[in-house]
Amino acid sequence: MKKLLRAAVAVALCAALGAASAQARPSTHKGVVNLTLATYVWQPTTVAAMNGIVNSWNKTHPSIQVSIVPVDVNSVHDKLLTSFVGGSSADIVHDEAADIPSFTQAGYLANMNSLIPASLKAEIPKTLWNTVNFGRKYGITGVPIMTQTYNVFANMDLLKSAGIKAPTSTNPWTWAQFRAAAKKLTSNGNFGVCWGLKSPTATIQTLGLNWGAQWNYLQKGKWNLVVGAPEQKILTTMHDMIYSDQSVDPAGVGLSGSAVLPEFFAGKCAMTVQGNYQAQGMITQSPKGFNWAMFPVLKGDTENQAADPQTLSIATQSQHKAEAMQFIAYALNNSNMAKLSAGDWLIPASADAAKLVVKSTNHYGSWRNAISAVPDLVKANWEALVPYAQWKAQIATPAFRSYLSNQLSLQDLITQLVNGWNQIRG
Amino acid sequence: MIVSPRQRSMRVGQYSLLCLYMLFLAFPLLWMLSVSFKGPQELVQLHPHVFPSQPTFGNYTDALEHNGLLHAAWNSFKVSSITAILAVFVAVPAAYVLARQQGLISKAGMGWILLSQMFPLILIIMPLFLVLKDLHAINTHIGLIATYLVWTLPFSLWMLQSYVRGIPPQLEEAAMVDGAGRLTILRTIIAPLLGPGIVVVALFVFVQCWNEFFFALVLLDSPNLQTLSLLLARFVGIEGIVRLGPLAASALLATIPSLLIFAFIQRFLTRGLLAGAVKG
Repeated sequence: MKKLLRAAVAVALCAALGAASAQARPSTHKGVVNLTLATYVWQPTTVAAMNGIVNSWNKTHPSIQVSIVPVDVNSVHDKLLTSFVGGSSADIVHDEAADIPSFTQAGYLANMNSLIPASLKAEIPKTLWNTVNFGRKYGITGVPIMTQTYNVFANMDLLKSAGIKAPTSTNPWTWAQFRAAAKKLTSNGNFGVCWGLKSPTATIQTLGLNWGAQWNYLQKGKWNLVVGAPEQKILTTMHDMIYSDQSVDPAGVGLSGSAVLPEFFAGKCAMTVQGNYQAQGMITQSPKGFNWAMFPVLKGDTENQAADPQTLSIATQSQHKAEAMQFIAYALNNSNMAKLSAGDWLIPASADAAKLVVKSTNHYGSWRNAISAVPDLVKANWEALVPYAQWKAQIATPAFRSYLSNQLSLQDLITQLVNGWNQIRG
Repeated sequence: MIVSPRQRSMRVGQYSLLCLYMLFLAFPLLWMLSVSFKGPQELVQLHPHVFPSQPTFGNYTDALEHNGLLHAAWNSFKVSSITAILAVFVAVPAAYVLARQQGLISKAGMGWILLSQMFPLILIIMPLFLVLKDLHAINTHIGLIATYLVWTLPFSLWMLQSYVRGIPPQLEEAAMVDGAGRLTILRTIIAPLLGPGIVVVALFVFVQCWNEFFFALVLLDSPNLQTLSLLLARFVGIEGIVRLGPLAASALLATIPSLLIFAFIQRFLTRGLLAGAVKG
């Protein structure tokens, strides 16, 4: 026992020396500005792209050195909030448009209006800038990097054998065509569509924009939640596809998007609705010879979907905002933005970067379909509302899930959503 | 000894049930082992098999070469072992005092220890963060060790004081008669007798720190300082997307130190648990 204790103490002392020497920040040399970049990139391809960008910057800019602070993708808000409140935030933070309103209003993110170079401003469409522009008081507090849409992925062999023609970006499917195709492809215990709806709120809300569903409307100076005809259209369409048409596998209601992929790859369903980033999963995980394609976004009255781009922001606490902006402009030049987007299969915010991605890929058709959605991306009202995140997690997600599991009527769903919103908004 | 056919069949039934139960307990580990040798295509098969059809070491290579598993494991080991040792050094004398002194302060101390276990982590994280920031201990292993020490001490104290109560006070009284002071008694009589309890506490603290995620998430920034739990979380992406193969390989490698430590000190653990269960 004594020997054991002695050995343990020896290990502890050695390790204590190591711990004491392990310092957080890189040493600062005279005249060198050290910046930190908190980023939640997680796909190996994107991590490699981000590391490459930072390394090349550090090589070419010896007076401004950037180091990466990795953030867990599922705890971004908590991590950033803690570091903002604690005054130890990274200089540059990677987040998304829907998450930054509360940080902006709390004063944690710097107004970048005067810092953003004109060339960068011109490269990114106004619809995306709108998602990070908080008016005169707060200004622009993030630079859009890349965004996502919800698309139909199809097993092309099954579609071909059923005699169904694939849509094109100039001639996209309407929801009616999608429903008809799903019904036609449902036979012999196989479903037309596998749709992972475990976390359905973002999907439902953004697809609702196809009929102009904004969910939150400014009425008499208050942001109210209204589930009117446009909002009900997406809800009833999805519900009917599951329970009336029976063309969507009801088992998918309790599963995540990626959890339905085994069924899709096994040919148990011909199509699946996924975030366009799932294309990366198709490439790495689909069986050899699996013939898949990503279709253009579906069309209701419009092809609109919510623009919720990932963003790079500068913390108000940063002592080197101009230098941070220099790095952001470098990291988001067309070539670098294309590298980041290609890694995650997300749509680059800049049209020129998008062209670069299309040029460099083997999946030309799917990428072209992904990029064709950019003009239809709009700012959704809910993105700028501070109570939204809480309402989404506590009210909307469980209520939508119950409705899609056929355990809640449409009327009860509407009551729950509206009452929940009123309670949280106060 | 003559065993009747009925007894024999009973015994066979018992062992069969025991085997099934062990298989049930070990299945997650076996499944993780199986997954760790599967390629990306095999991981999304609709009807997966326990034995990989085309075993690959790719997930292990990925975990070890590209994701810094060994460095994170060393960080976790360093933080967990230092915390375990410090916890023992602090908890042994404190538990001795709490067990032997029956005054108001001792009772209030025990009450406070129980009460401190009831605060949810989310409630203390922000004040803790601010305190550590003032001490320049954010994003350092020293800050994390201090946090883990405070976090694990109440339960360690509670456990150890019950072990101390199990030691007959007459032993100390005899030593006092011979002129030994409290510190000598603690060092020469109590500490050796507490051996099994100390092992249990050290093991408990080590495992708690080895698995801990939330404090590490909030307090550590630098990739060089990240612990295993943080590294493993990075295999889980948005909307349920998981890099299952590398995650299984990493998780399996991450359990090895715990398994080795358990195997090494299992005998102390058994003795320790029994000693704690019965008061002398």
